[in-house]
Amino acid sequence: MTTVSAPAIGRDPAVATVVIALWALLLLFVVYPLVTLLGRVLFDHGAFTTAGIAAILTDRHQVRAFWNSLLLALLVGSGGTIIGFVFAFTAARSRLPRWLLTVIDAAVLLPLVSPPFTTAIAMIFSFGPRGLITYELLGLKGVTVYGLMSTLSSEILTYFPIAYLTLRPLLAAIDSNLEGMALSLGASRWRVFRTVTLPLCIPGLANAFLLLFAASLADFATPLILAGNNFPVLPTQAYLQITGLFDLRGGAALSFMLLVPALGVFLLQRYWVSRRFYVTVTGKGAGQTPFDSISPAVRAALLAACAVVAATILYFYALLLYASLVQALGANHALTLRHYRVIFTEGLRVIRDTLIIAGLAMPLGGLYGILVGYLVARKPFVGRRTMELVSMINYALPGTIVGIAYLIAFNDPPIELTGTALIIIACYVFRYGATGIRATVAMLQQIDKSLEEASQGLGAGSGTTFRRVTLPLILPAFFTGLGVVFIRSMTAISATIFLVSISWTLITVRILENITELSLGPAAAYSVLVVGIVFVVIALIGRGLRWFRAPGAIPVTSMFGG
Amino acid sequence: MAIETIGVQVDGVSKRFSHRVKGEIYAARDVHLDVAPGEFLTLLGPSGCGKTTTLRMIAGFEHPDAGSIRLGGQDVTGLPANQRNMGFVFQNYALFPHLSVFDNVAYGLQVRGQAAAVIAKSVGDVLALVGLSGYEHQFSGQLSGGEQQRVALARAIVIRPRVLLFDEPLSNLDAKLRVQMRTEIRDLQRSLAITTIYVTHDQEEAMAVSDRIAVMSQGSVVQEGTAEDLYYRPASEFVATFVGRVNLVPGTLIERSGDTVTVAALGTTIRAGTAHAAVTGGAAVKLVMRPEVLELVEVGAGDFRADVISCTFLGEKTEYLLRCGDVELQCVRHNAGAVGAIREGSAVGVRVAASAVTVLPEAAR
Repeated sequence: MTTVSAPAIGRDPAVATVVIALWALLLLFVVYPLVTLLGRVLFDHGAFTTAGIAAILTDRHQVRAFWNSLLLALLVGSGGTIIGFVFAFTAARSRLPRWLLTVIDAAVLLPLVSPPFTTAIAMIFSFGPRGLITYELLGLKGVTVYGLMSTLSSEILTYFPIAYLTLRPLLAAIDSNLEGMALSLGASRWRVFRTVTLPLCIPGLANAFLLLFAASLADFATPLILAGNNFPVLPTQAYLQITGLFDLRGGAALSFMLLVPALGVFLLQRYWVSRRFYVTVTGKGAGQTPFDSISPAVRAALLAACAVVAATILYFYALLLYASLVQALGANHALTLRHYRVIFTEGLRVIRDTLIIAGLAMPLGGLYGILVGYLVARKPFVGRRTMELVSMINYALPGTIVGIAYLIAFNDPPIELTGTALIIIACYVFRYGATGIRATVAMLQQIDKSLEEASQGLGAGSGTTFRRVTLPLILPAFFTGLGVVFIRSMTAISATIFLVSISWTLITVRILENITELSLGPAAAYSVLVVGIVFVVIALIGRGLRWFRAPGAIPVTSMFGG
Repeated sequence: MAIETIGVQVDGVSKRFSHRVKGEIYAARDVHLDVAPGEFLTLLGPSGCGKTTTLRMIAGFEHPDAGSIRLGGQDVTGLPANQRNMGFVFQNYALFPHLSVFDNVAYGLQVRGQAAAVIAKSVGDVLALVGLSGYEHQFSGQLSGGEQQRVALARAIVIRPRVLLFDEPLSNLDAKLRVQMRTEIRDLQRSLAITTIYVTHDQEEAMAVSDRIAVMSQGSVVQEGTAEDLYYRPASEFVATFVGRVNLVPGTLIERSGDTVTVAALGTTIRAGTAHAAVTGGAAVKLVMRPEVLELVEVGAGDFRADVISCTFLGEKTEYLLRCGDVELQCVRHNAGAVGAIREGSAVGVRVAASAVTVLPEAAR
């Protein structure tokens, strides 16, 4: 039930001020760039035109890029969901010892906290023309690693953890009595899995598929490195159009083509799949199944499959570390710290820039996340749902679109931000702060509204209530927001590659430049540095969470879940 | 602990909600209440009758679409909840999980900017009052339901509220504790002489704690009065059936003279002490007879004769199901000693005191 007469926000001046300020920021950094982008694509000197779109639709190369993008996304979505499900099912049902679960979680976490093309670099190190496996081990000459297969494998390895993290709590939350009941009715284990477990997971599988589909559709770095000339995809085409040909309009039009499927997936996920869950994930978890839901043979097979995938990931990262410590992988394997010396001398400014930007984006993004999350979950004001939707847009759209939109919107007066750190920080805050919003909303749904009313009834105003009651209870969501914004600020590239400048650049962009210049040693060293920093910050945030967590607060199970 | 005693007036207050299926519905419709200073008023009704909405409007958590709310003559309709100085006890207690018992109780005083020493003294006093001295450093997760309830109560009264509001405060407790807590709440309210409005759906609880009860149904107050008023002189079939168990016997009014009314019912004539004002001669009526006013006597000695369909021995009392013509009657007799010789299948005479019977018009629902 909602009140017919939505109480005017004017009743609470503190809330009204924050709402108005947030709307101003959302309009400036979410709506305005997107509208400018659409305007650039669909209008020419004030007149409506589809010429830009038509130019792409008649260009066979670009049409191929469009279909390639969809094909790649489809394959990554299916493959990643299957692997993610195998991992989730193994973790939830095969009664693994704790240490093994920790190993699996760590292996799965690695791709999530690395720059998106880390696996891509490792692929080249392994399977490239001078690759460790293709050339050194198998002695093959003239092999090409570039194309659909390598892009696909690399993206699946990078993104399947998302599926794992969405499916594992779901499998854990399925009431084991349902499976036990089916078993006691005489069904075989396979039949129980087929007729009970799997159907209950279908909405989760669909959700995971759509998340991976969107991630692959938006991935820019992996195809740039691995897809090669014969497998063009939209995000890289848009990038090349802008940076290679300086054709902003053409790049905008290409990103518009990307917008259509991305928006479709977003709406499908938000309004269709999310309403079809049979199982409520409360975060508590129903515990392990009390009976053996899988046979020993199946258990062994599942474990073997997980071991292969986990070993591949660990091998890739070990290789990356090794590559950063030798003269030149594939040619001269003498140990050296040369690459680290390079990145800490001539590359020091990049590291400094990145840390400053990430360090500023982190608190701002965290604050933005809990403020918007709190307002949309708790305060009845006009346009509440619209605010929630708008706050998700930059998060849902592929980074390429957001980057190009920012580039077009903030390149010229009235708001000229190109070349500043602010444009990169704003991009990160309004793109990745969304995770904090969702975490806050999810937590607030578990905190009864009467707690805030009790505070109000005892004489506290909305500011005091937020500070003394709500904030301590949603602190875990705040830390989640901080963590995600920091990690993404350190690792993201798809949007910000359009926004870096001579004055402010990022490690990820420098890694990409190194790869294209074929100085792979420094690229590996940078990657190792990023992974290292991110791990340290995650550990610190975890420590902070334990430190600050009030006895009654609800624990956050995963910083990346959901 | 002296608390300023004031009254509460609720004047024609209405609140609409939009419902996904039913469209726009009234949660409260033109509600009038006048609570005297120091009085204990209970809003009683089934779930969805608007009692909680009314209470929340008095507290300031909801804003009425129409009408006004006054505290001691001062109009507070537009005043936010944090400026009304009322104590509210929630159904789920709403204890702050991240604060200790001390900090929970101290919260309202800290918000008021009182000195630490004053706060420590007040909190200590009020915890002693609710019997929780020594619990200061516990967290709500470590307390039993009854203890949480007492903390919630302490937190509400420590701010010396002008009015104390309870929203189904006992519904999360087990039956025995419920009885104990309601006595404690009543005693505390008496000793503090604080104006109290209490919401419950439990009619026994309402009768046990209240000076006066307002029965609500579908957003409106349908009857106000003391527990006895509601029980013996219900103004409608709804109140008659909601408050206690009842036999509603159809009949026809024969005549009405002075204080007594004569009704043709159960194959005889029954005299009643009270009648709804709308009832006139010849009208179809319903007789309100509580199960315990039916006295079982020898056949022929009573006002009418009935067959015993079943009798259930319950220790302190025995319950009978009787049939007279096509009317079934519930009857309860308290057992003073060994049970008499009334058996299932036997016939009995039934006697009813006129003063214990009320007449309602057929249509008064």
